[in-house]
Amino acid sequence: MIAIYRTLFLFALIGLWWIVSLNVGANLIPTPVATLQAAGQLIADGRLAVALGDSLITFVGGYGLAALVAVPLGLVMGMFLPVGKTLEVYVYALAATPRVAFIPLIIVFLGLGFEAKIFIVFLGAVMPIIVNTYAGVLAVDQELIEMARSVRASQFQIFRRILLPGSVPFIIAGLRIGATIGLINTIVAELYTAVRGLGGLLAIYGNTFRMAEYFVIVIVLAIIGVIVSECLRQVEGRLARWKAID
Amino acid sequence: MNVRSGAPGGSTRIEMRGVSKAFGSHGNASPVAALANLDLRVPEGSFVSVVGPSGCGKTTILRLVDGLLAADAGEVRVSGAPPRPGPQVGFVFQGFRLIPWATVEANVDFALTSLRLDKAERAERVSRYLATVGLSRFAKAYPGTLSGGMKQRVALARALATDPEILLMDEPFASLDAQTRELMQTELMKLWEQRRQTVLFVTHSVDEAILLSDRIVLMSPRPGRVIEEIEVGLPHPRWQYDVRATPRFTELRTRLWSAIRELVLNDPSSDFHNPSGRPTA
Repeated sequence: MIAIYRTLFLFALIGLWWIVSLNVGANLIPTPVATLQAAGQLIADGRLAVALGDSLITFVGGYGLAALVAVPLGLVMGMFLPVGKTLEVYVYALAATPRVAFIPLIIVFLGLGFEAKIFIVFLGAVMPIIVNTYAGVLAVDQELIEMARSVRASQFQIFRRILLPGSVPFIIAGLRIGATIGLINTIVAELYTAVRGLGGLLAIYGNTFRMAEYFVIVIVLAIIGVIVSECLRQVEGRLARWKAID
Repeated sequence: MNVRSGAPGGSTRIEMRGVSKAFGSHGNASPVAALANLDLRVPEGSFVSVVGPSGCGKTTILRLVDGLLAADAGEVRVSGAPPRPGPQVGFVFQGFRLIPWATVEANVDFALTSLRLDKAERAERVSRYLATVGLSRFAKAYPGTLSGGMKQRVALARALATDPEILLMDEPFASLDAQTRELMQTELMKLWEQRRQTVLFVTHSVDEAILLSDRIVLMSPRPGRVIEEIEVGLPHPRWQYDVRATPRFTELRTRLWSAIRELVLNDPSSDFHNPSGRPTA
């Protein structure tokens, strides 16, 4: 039933878009039909595929690296409190700094290529994942840990059976926020370094007022965001099956 | 039926001598004494209950005996040695403490992690103790789907699964409704009658203490000290007759209740503090 309402709402949005585009003028807002034609053109000449590939490599590279670094680091910070208490100040400080401020520095060191782009994505995604993983470990029920000590479970068992599963909901939340910021930073990186990928096309079409093509890119970005977010929701659902049954 | 007092052989399983423990000494606040100069002896194979108002350090005693905490002063000995957490002691916690993301059987199995058993042996133990508490059908269920009484039984199966010589129980039935509590008390009596572990049982409930134990240790709050030790002296097995209908039960109940009332009224940090004993207007 909800699916039907959602579809109806989508049609309503497209209808609204249509009405606005007819009244504002095609130079500012393209009609849905013109956008669809532009999409067909971009797909047919392969430009969309190339740009999408570039952007996905940047995003997956930077985000994957961020997850690989941030989850273990957050776990270590939560499990060894001296480490956590020492690092948390710096993590929070860096998380609060607009990471875009580092872009000139990154360009100086890494140039304008993929390395720089991946690092910009990494820097955006890494902080929320660290912060959430750390918070997740700290939020694990201390009574369960005492119970585990009482049956003389090893440190590894306590980690594997209590700490890790207990912090999974927080880790997933961090990964979702990280994915959103990573996607934003993918576009930012493509706008500020060598102009490539979807961000590059966004700049080109935006600057030349080719609004139909521009809209296609925006919609593709929205779709990527939805897909990534939905994938993580699926993972969360699988890992938290024990919750759903209640 | 036989009247038992103390234990066969009379050797001491759990011994605490001059034990003190305070909490909160990390911060700037002055530490709060939970236990002060406590002496406690639990003979082998006996069922001893610790009763007393809130704040008398009952749970602290269990955590010290399990080796989860170290005493500030005094000596704790379990089976003649300093306490150490492990499979020789089963701990039934207040509030069950089941792992919510593990199935019932995985929860029971978790207690076996420190024992060197092979897979088949572990599986056999888990199913045996789930059968003991009547939960075989729920082996694959998650704790969130179970009622309070069933969760309590999983916790009991977990504590029993290592076949411990000592059972520590921290108000295990406090969160259950009245009927479930009575059924669980009977089940516990039957289980204990078969195996005769040494049990140290903490409870708020005077009735529960009399019903289950050989001996009752009455404690005072802030700091926890032993006020009185009482032999129950009712014959076992007690599920075969109505313990509550015996004159001895009434006598013990009256005695314990008046002692506890006095403790609470004289405790300055209690909500019912009223040393004169006159009703407050």
